[in-house]
Amino acid sequence: MKRVLLASIAACVAMLPAGSLRAQESIKVGVLVSYSGMTSLGGQQTDAAIKLFQSKYGDAPGGHKIELIRRDTTGPNPEVAKRLVQEAVTRDKVQILLGPDFTPNTLAAAPIVTEAKVPTFVIGAATTGIIGEKSPYLTRTFFATPQLCKPLAPYAVKNNWKNVFVMVADFAPGHDCEKIFIDALKEAGGTLAGNLRIPTRNPEFSAYTQRIKDAKPDAVFIFMPLGELSLGSLRAMSDSGLKAAGVKIMGTGDITDESYVDAVGDAALDVITTGMYSTQHNSAMNKEFVAEYTKLNGASPRMGWGAIAAWDALRLVYDGLEAQKGAKFDPDKFMAFVRGRTFESPRGPITIDKGNGDIVQNVYIRRTEKVNGVLQNVEIETLANQSFK
Amino acid sequence: MTTLDTSAPATGKEAARAKFAGYFVGLSRWKIGEVLFWLALVGAYFVPDMNIILLGHILIWGLFAMSLDLLLGYRGIPSLGHAGFFGIGAYAAGFLGKYGWTEPISGLLFAMAIAGAVGLVTGRFVQRVHGVALLMVTLSLNLILYDAVHRATDVTGGDDGLQGIVIDPVLGLFRFDIFGKTAYWYALIVTFLLFLVARALVKSPFGLSLLGARENTRRMIMLGAPIERDVSFVFAISAALAGAAGALLTQTTQFVAPSALSFDRSADVLVILIIGGTARLYGAFIGAIIFLFMRDWLAALSPVYWYFWIGLLLVIVVSFFRRGVLPTLETLLQRLRAR
Amino acid sequence: MTSIATVLFNGVAYGMLLFIMSVGLSVTLGMMNFVNLAQASFSMFGGYIVVLVVQRLGLPFLVSLPIAFIIVGLFSIVIERLVFRHFYGTDDLTQVLLTIGLVFMSISTASYFFGGTYQRIDMPAWLSGQRDIFGLTLERYRIFIVVSGAILSLVLILGLERTKLGGMVRACVDNPRAANGCGLNTQMIFAVTFAIGGGLAGLGGALSANLLGIDPNFPLRYLVYLLIIVSVGGMGTIGGTLIAAVTLGVADVAGKYYFPSFGGFVIYAITIAVMLWRPRGLLGRTA
Repeated sequence: MKRVLLASIAACVAMLPAGSLRAQESIKVGVLVSYSGMTSLGGQQTDAAIKLFQSKYGDAPGGHKIELIRRDTTGPNPEVAKRLVQEAVTRDKVQILLGPDFTPNTLAAAPIVTEAKVPTFVIGAATTGIIGEKSPYLTRTFFATPQLCKPLAPYAVKNNWKNVFVMVADFAPGHDCEKIFIDALKEAGGTLAGNLRIPTRNPEFSAYTQRIKDAKPDAVFIFMPLGELSLGSLRAMSDSGLKAAGVKIMGTGDITDESYVDAVGDAALDVITTGMYSTQHNSAMNKEFVAEYTKLNGASPRMGWGAIAAWDALRLVYDGLEAQKGAKFDPDKFMAFVRGRTFESPRGPITIDKGNGDIVQNVYIRRTEKVNGVLQNVEIETLANQSFK
Repeated sequence: MTTLDTSAPATGKEAARAKFAGYFVGLSRWKIGEVLFWLALVGAYFVPDMNIILLGHILIWGLFAMSLDLLLGYRGIPSLGHAGFFGIGAYAAGFLGKYGWTEPISGLLFAMAIAGAVGLVTGRFVQRVHGVALLMVTLSLNLILYDAVHRATDVTGGDDGLQGIVIDPVLGLFRFDIFGKTAYWYALIVTFLLFLVARALVKSPFGLSLLGARENTRRMIMLGAPIERDVSFVFAISAALAGAAGALLTQTTQFVAPSALSFDRSADVLVILIIGGTARLYGAFIGAIIFLFMRDWLAALSPVYWYFWIGLLLVIVVSFFRRGVLPTLETLLQRLRAR
Repeated sequence: MTSIATVLFNGVAYGMLLFIMSVGLSVTLGMMNFVNLAQASFSMFGGYIVVLVVQRLGLPFLVSLPIAFIIVGLFSIVIERLVFRHFYGTDDLTQVLLTIGLVFMSISTASYFFGGTYQRIDMPAWLSGQRDIFGLTLERYRIFIVVSGAILSLVLILGLERTKLGGMVRACVDNPRAANGCGLNTQMIFAVTFAIGGGLAGLGGALSANLLGIDPNFPLRYLVYLLIIVSVGGMGTIGGTLIAAVTLGVADVAGKYYFPSFGGFVIYAITIAVMLWRPRGLLGRTA
């Protein structure tokens, strides 16, 4: 009993990390992502990527010592996110921001970062109409919805899956993706077998799979947010026998994200997705990145998009600060440096658009396969330099 | 009012009336603690390094919890859907700001009116159910409203939030700044004024009849109290105050998204009120201060595991402050005085 | 025609799943008058036990079910003795605050020990895929859920509502002093009932883990459903919980099938209608 008590006290103490030490002559970088709740994986990956980056490249690019301020946005919660950004900017005097994640949080924060001139890296929001429109200080190392929602329409038609059923989560990003995909499908000469919008709180898919069965499509295109809906929809496609009947399952890479594809299990096999990054990407840089990441953070939880978005944001932060070596930090010069920059990332070459600040990158068509017994998103086709529009 | 106390009443009827009035005068007299509480909120602004951005949000939460207190504390009606009214106020203020009516004070009043009207209808609708059934009805209404707003992306912007809200400077003078200064003063003054309204209400004969109905509904009916009319009336007042809190949030942040009317918010406000203590009005504010300061502090200290600590906080509060923090402190204070 | 039958079957299966998840709460809430929201955490615990037993120890899925029932049942006795028994007889809101606090703590604890991600559970071959029955292609796991739910409700109705134990529990709740005077060990009976309620929650989590996925936020995701089922059915009636769960399950699936754009609202609309019509639930006893 005593030992149990001691162990639980130790566990409690371990949950409280030590406060960060304050250093002088530093640049404060705010990291505003979701560390708790349903979306906590994003925060964990962001932290893991930062840890690896700093262990490799130090914590003082260009003589500016980086001081991280981490805050939990708790998920899509603009009230909290806006307040945290406000506090970070006015009280902590943060000069660069990673996050906040999620579109509503980013939109709520945009006026503040504009007024306070804080370069902000969007590492977890994909909606169009944010970057380059809401604030000149916003830039993105994540992806833009069209990059992932468009390409599968022509791909399906090319592979002769002409009659496609579209199933999206019933919220703003889902509606965006639905429209983009259906327009692209019509342009490519395919037909719409039907479309469904799934409530965002929905543990039960059987009614929807039955409707899809009734429509007899060649393929189904799925857009779901990370988490239970992705898991549930793929399981339902498989359990209902749709997949076994030869209906092709496609979707944006969220549905087979590495962080929980293991929990989806064999239902994820042979699913075709679009993605900006897979840990399987075949390049020397990526192999090194994955090996080091796994070595430092362990094999579980597996790395997903949260990590690569944070990694590339840090690349830009470090390069931008290096360029201002010995000088006082100037946010406008920093943004001018970041915009138009092209560099090699573990996901492939990426460019920050000079005019807009949004990301231009390769998009990959992937098939989920077992590699050495582990489910992986294997890239089967590369679409180079996809625009954010 | 003082004339009532000094003038000698002539007849027995007048004496009774004077005694009656005197009771309410005594009831509504300001205690020193109350004055100190509001002075402290004014003083907090001038404390260096005080997080007034957070404190402004806490005031809004306190006002919101106080609106629930009228319903739960004074009338014994629990609601698990109070964020619905908060959200209606928030969106009403948001739509006004988006479609050109950018003056904040009239916007606030308009939002209160809309939320109050919805509250009146809701009160009518649910007045026959009690206890668990009422919790479930309010919860379901809240979830339906949330889903509707969440899905209607064409009208509300859905998950992305309502875009293009513009709010003018308060009185044409004070712009909502990024330091949260105007927001704090605006929230403090509005909250204080609405607190005065609520205070006058609960210290009036109407407030007493609410408490009476909470304790023994049947007897109040036999006394001839208009119970049903009272229920929808208190629902309307409560909803209007919740709507005011929602409108304050929209106006001070110039943003509104479906999280304004999420079920989580309904649960949080209930937790805040119970922590602070019901039927006290101040309990709502004390609860908001404790819960939100602790949450912010714990989340900054331990971003990943702060849920554990906030859970522990709730367990400790119910273990040691069974009826809420404020009532327990009051009892403690009385005991010390009695010595 | 086949699609109507399949939809109906899937609705019943979903209802059974809801029943299995909420029956534990129904027992503690109805029989002991204790609002234990932490039942949802007990369910999550049951789910994690399946993960440990099946994935880490490599034992068969069927073995993991009784293990989940027993361990979570024992665990709930510990919690009852340590925490809950001090809160018998306090008002509902206090109990809600206490148990929601425990839910928050359980979320962080689960994420500390198991990480924030979803857990993988490999089902045996005889429980995955489809099977043809009477010309319908049905999912095997759903058939399993329906059968389990039917057995469970039979055992509970016969074993808990119609027996001496059930009577003793009611006597202890209605008048502890009188029950004590009649020679009943109230403390013991409360503990046993609590263990059964907790164990059932654990079993519910274990059975639903495969369909719903287990992660630290499981309790908060499904708490609302549990509350709705138990209230609509009527406190403390296992039959009522069953009827409510199956009705809502069928209505939900059928609503989503026939009116996909409004399907998500059906479950809430029915809840409101039932609560206005019968505030004590479908089979709720009048006080």
